[in-house]
Amino acid sequence: MKILKMVVPTLREKNRYIAFEVISETGEEFTYSDLESAVWNTMLDFLGEEGVSKTSVWLLKDSWDQKKQTGIIRCNHKSVQDVVASLGLIDRLGDNRITFKILKISGTIKSIKSSTSKKG
Amino acid sequence: MAFYDLHLHSEFSEGKSSVEDFAKRAKILGFRGICFATYYKDRKRVDRLKKKAAEVSKKMGIDIFIGLEATTLEELKKLMNNRREYDILLVRGTNLDLNRKAVQTKEVDILTHPEYNRRDSGLNHVMAKLAAKNKVAIEINFREILQSSKNTRSHIMHHIQKNVKLCKKYKTPIIISSGAVSHLQMKDPAILISMGCLLGLELSKAKGALSKTPENMIKMIKERQDKRWVRPGVKVVR
Repeated sequence: MKILKMVVPTLREKNRYIAFEVISETGEEFTYSDLESAVWNTMLDFLGEEGVSKTSVWLLKDSWDQKKQTGIIRCNHKSVQDVVASLGLIDRLGDNRITFKILKISGTIKSIKSSTSKKG
Repeated sequence: MAFYDLHLHSEFSEGKSSVEDFAKRAKILGFRGICFATYYKDRKRVDRLKKKAAEVSKKMGIDIFIGLEATTLEELKKLMNNRREYDILLVRGTNLDLNRKAVQTKEVDILTHPEYNRRDSGLNHVMAKLAAKNKVAIEINFREILQSSKNTRSHIMHHIQKNVKLCKKYKTPIIISSGAVSHLQMKDPAILISMGCLLGLELSKAKGALSKTPENMIKMIKERQDKRWVRPGVKVVR
């Protein structure tokens, strides 16, 4: 299959990466799929389908650390506040009550990974 | 930047979690200080909360303030007479008369969720002006948004947006708080700031609602605890 040619940098969407930690009531470990469904359902409820389409949100599967319960969400630079506020509205994962802690918001995945690895 | 959450309910009022649990969670989330709101009905309870808060504050290294929340006009009058006995005076919004009385009283620090349980926003331009004059902060309560859904949530957010617009116009102080009744409901400062932005505040003002406005309030608390303080605007010089 032919790969689409990359758009010039000035026309490319500016990304922001949000590193977060899930703090649970009794230290349960959640899987990526638990988190993914909760994030998508809450965002669709809160922002609506049209609102979510504008955020270009994506939960990065490779960066989900099940032991540390930390992960990274990508979105565009204009919708950081929408995504972070939506994360705050996730109160439960299954039967467990959780809170999100925002560790860092950055423009490159490299810097966010290096800062979170230093802390952890 | 130091962040404060000035509206929490522990087991000493309508909350479910202990003071320690709240303090631990606040420390994890990066708050410099928190305030426990309680009611005036039981004086012994307030004294016990004060004792416990002082103990936990020393142990955990976090500032803990005691706030009393007035729910009626009579309670507000009583609380104004004993203003020195506690740190922050909150007034629970709902009743329009109480909202009005709160914003024209200098002793009041925070008018909590003026739109709570109402079909309107509970605040008009006259009240916003008075609040700015008397330095009464209008609260954005995150719990109200968190615990509602669908059309109720959209109505609440619409009312809050109206209040924010008025507060911005008349430069009324705004604070954002989690309003948590359990330590599990406490939110990261970044989340509260983002919600403030979605409700119509600029990023710098949303940050100020969690740090600068509470800091000013804390300055006032320290002034009030000074022996020379008599009432707002009156101080013994010699």
